[in-house]
Amino acid sequence: MYRVQNITQAYSQAPWRKQLQWVGLFMLALILIAMVAGIYLSVSAQASTAGREIQIMYAEMEEIRRNIEDMESQIAFLTSNSEMETRAEELGFSPISSDDIFYILVPGYSKPDQIVIAGSPGVSLPEIPTVAEEYTQSLFDWLSERVFYPATPLVKEVEP
Amino acid sequence: MSALGSWRFNTLGILLSALAFFIIVQMLRIQLSPQAEALRDKGELYSGTWRTLTPARGQIYDRRGNLLAGNRTVYEVGVVLEEVENPSTIALALNAVVDAEYDQVFAAASTEASGDAVYATLAKFVTEDQKQRLEQLAEEMKLAYADKSDTNRPSLAGLTFDPRLQRSYPEKDLASNILGFVNWEGEGFFGVEEKFDNELSGSPTRVWIPYDPNRVEEFPNIPEGSSLILTIDRVIQAEMEKIVESAIEESGSESATILVMDPETGDILAAATSPRLDLNEFWRYDEVFEGSTPFNRVVSETYEPGSIFKVLTMAAAMDAGAVKPKTSFLDTGSIEVGGTIIRNWNSGAWGPQDMLGCMQHSLNVCLAWVATELGANKFYQYMQDFGLGYLTGVDMAGENSGRLKLPGDEDWYEADLGTNSFGQGVAVTPMQMLMAVSALANDGQMAFPRIVLSIIDEGKQYNTSPRISGQPISPNTAQKLTNMLATSLEVESSSALIEGYRVAGKTGTAEIPTPFGYTSNQTNASFVGWGPVDDPRFVVFVWLEKPTTSPWGSVVAAPVFRQVVERLVVLMDIPSDAMKAQLLEGQ
Repeated sequence: MYRVQNITQAYSQAPWRKQLQWVGLFMLALILIAMVAGIYLSVSAQASTAGREIQIMYAEMEEIRRNIEDMESQIAFLTSNSEMETRAEELGFSPISSDDIFYILVPGYSKPDQIVIAGSPGVSLPEIPTVAEEYTQSLFDWLSERVFYPATPLVKEVEP
Repeated sequence: MSALGSWRFNTLGILLSALAFFIIVQMLRIQLSPQAEALRDKGELYSGTWRTLTPARGQIYDRRGNLLAGNRTVYEVGVVLEEVENPSTIALALNAVVDAEYDQVFAAASTEASGDAVYATLAKFVTEDQKQRLEQLAEEMKLAYADKSDTNRPSLAGLTFDPRLQRSYPEKDLASNILGFVNWEGEGFFGVEEKFDNELSGSPTRVWIPYDPNRVEEFPNIPEGSSLILTIDRVIQAEMEKIVESAIEESGSESATILVMDPETGDILAAATSPRLDLNEFWRYDEVFEGSTPFNRVVSETYEPGSIFKVLTMAAAMDAGAVKPKTSFLDTGSIEVGGTIIRNWNSGAWGPQDMLGCMQHSLNVCLAWVATELGANKFYQYMQDFGLGYLTGVDMAGENSGRLKLPGDEDWYEADLGTNSFGQGVAVTPMQMLMAVSALANDGQMAFPRIVLSIIDEGKQYNTSPRISGQPISPNTAQKLTNMLATSLEVESSSALIEGYRVAGKTGTAEIPTPFGYTSNQTNASFVGWGPVDDPRFVVFVWLEKPTTSPWGSVVAAPVFRQVVERLVVLMDIPSDAMKAQLLEGQ
């Protein structure tokens, strides 16, 4: 009995060591929690900043669109028929009559009969989302995409 | 550890556990309480805002791509009631800068801020310049009266500016009757603005915008309103409007209308009329269009066309073989049709005439005889084929279908055949008359009048195609009658003639009916013509309402036609007949 006590005592740790281990484990857990919390906070802050930037950009987009409309109207006011006529008169031009015109035949020339302001319906471009997939895809979507769909090879094999 | 220390620790543990338990129970109670749902909804309400995204209204261009209707930024001026320091200063400033009513602004800005009263609108559609002046005033006051302890200091604190797009018309009153306008609420009135209101305005969409940037989502892609390219040429339109103004002045008319159309495609190149409204000041509508004055006479007002209608009667009779150009007729000065005696415009007898003479001298008696030779059924069938009594389908709001009484109608009498043959007792719009006559200038084919050349939707341009309404007469009839009318103008040395260009046309003078018959001295003077005769590029319709210098179309309307064509040949690059022959020879 005494022998068993001696062996146990010989292999048991000192109380201060046990305390230190517990403190160490607690500190490790604390550091892990702090790290996770820190990463979470950092990612959240980045997401919030990005979200705020998106909101600001939408507001800017709207303002730019309004500015474009404004500018187009201003240009149209400045080049309106009455303005152009006044400017032409100030520069010494006057309306011509049919007698002042001399016509010549230009072989191969045909007057364009239709103004083109936008593309024809036949031409269509694929729609591109304004927010990249990386910002809307969840972690699980991303993982499943990587697992179930083969990744694009980094180096393309050269065929002989 | 002593027993006392252990007891203390146990007590503290129990207390903290009880507190934690109580907090959890309370949390569950709040979450599961009947008010929880309402609270969550209220919380959601404050987590963002609903906003209506209104797409920019589509633009309107002329056929050369010049902007006729666009958009510009205007502001709604309001106040955040809690921030208002001096309502009187705000009312004074808005009165001075945007001409707002002092009392109304003062009352709105003086509203006590509360849970329900947060914001008040003070003025709408404030321009960029006015906004800048108000901002400058606010800044100057802030600097000049910096002492915040003074409760009566002048201040524009609380003013806010909310931008939005409003219609603008760079050409002001040019083609105003064709365009129409858009009111404060964004609704289109008259013209193409009303006809294409849905297409131009697009689809406003309500979206939820969260305040939490973590919940920000992509805005839905709201397509802008479709844009339109019109068949109108702004230079031709402007020239025609100038001629309208001078014609009114020279003839003392109440109003004037000029239409120009490409007979082959039906494209309306110009549709000038009076009065016109600067569309940027659409609220002056009541001032400009007094009483029952129509906004767009071109399609909305009907009138009795008088002698220009003889062109259609003669075309129908020649096409049906009832008469030929050389058919002779003895004009005795009167003819009885359905019990009514019809006389010539001068009540005279013109003796033996052929059809050229009948048209040249515009003889009512002869044309009434021609109509009887044709027969009522055929006559009215032809007139319907010319589109009379029906809408032309031109893309402008407020079109009137006119009135063509037909045999079998309660108010149709046999005498109507005689009077209708020279344009009396028939109600047509200028657009109907133009469309009908275009058949003569286009080898018998009648094109639908077209005002919209292309529609631009989501960045794609869709061009419209000219459409033929029908072929009321044969190409041979059209050419014969064209030559006949051209000769008629040349023989009588009409003031409609243009040096170097052969044109065909007909004058018209119609008495204006009153409730007691044709008792007034007032007339409608008109002219319809087309040219150049060998390859018509334009059809022109001129109508002067109640001219005072002379009642006759040949005196007041024919010279207007000449002025129109003199400008058209330059603006449309139409060489003179001699020049054209010379160019073709050199080919």
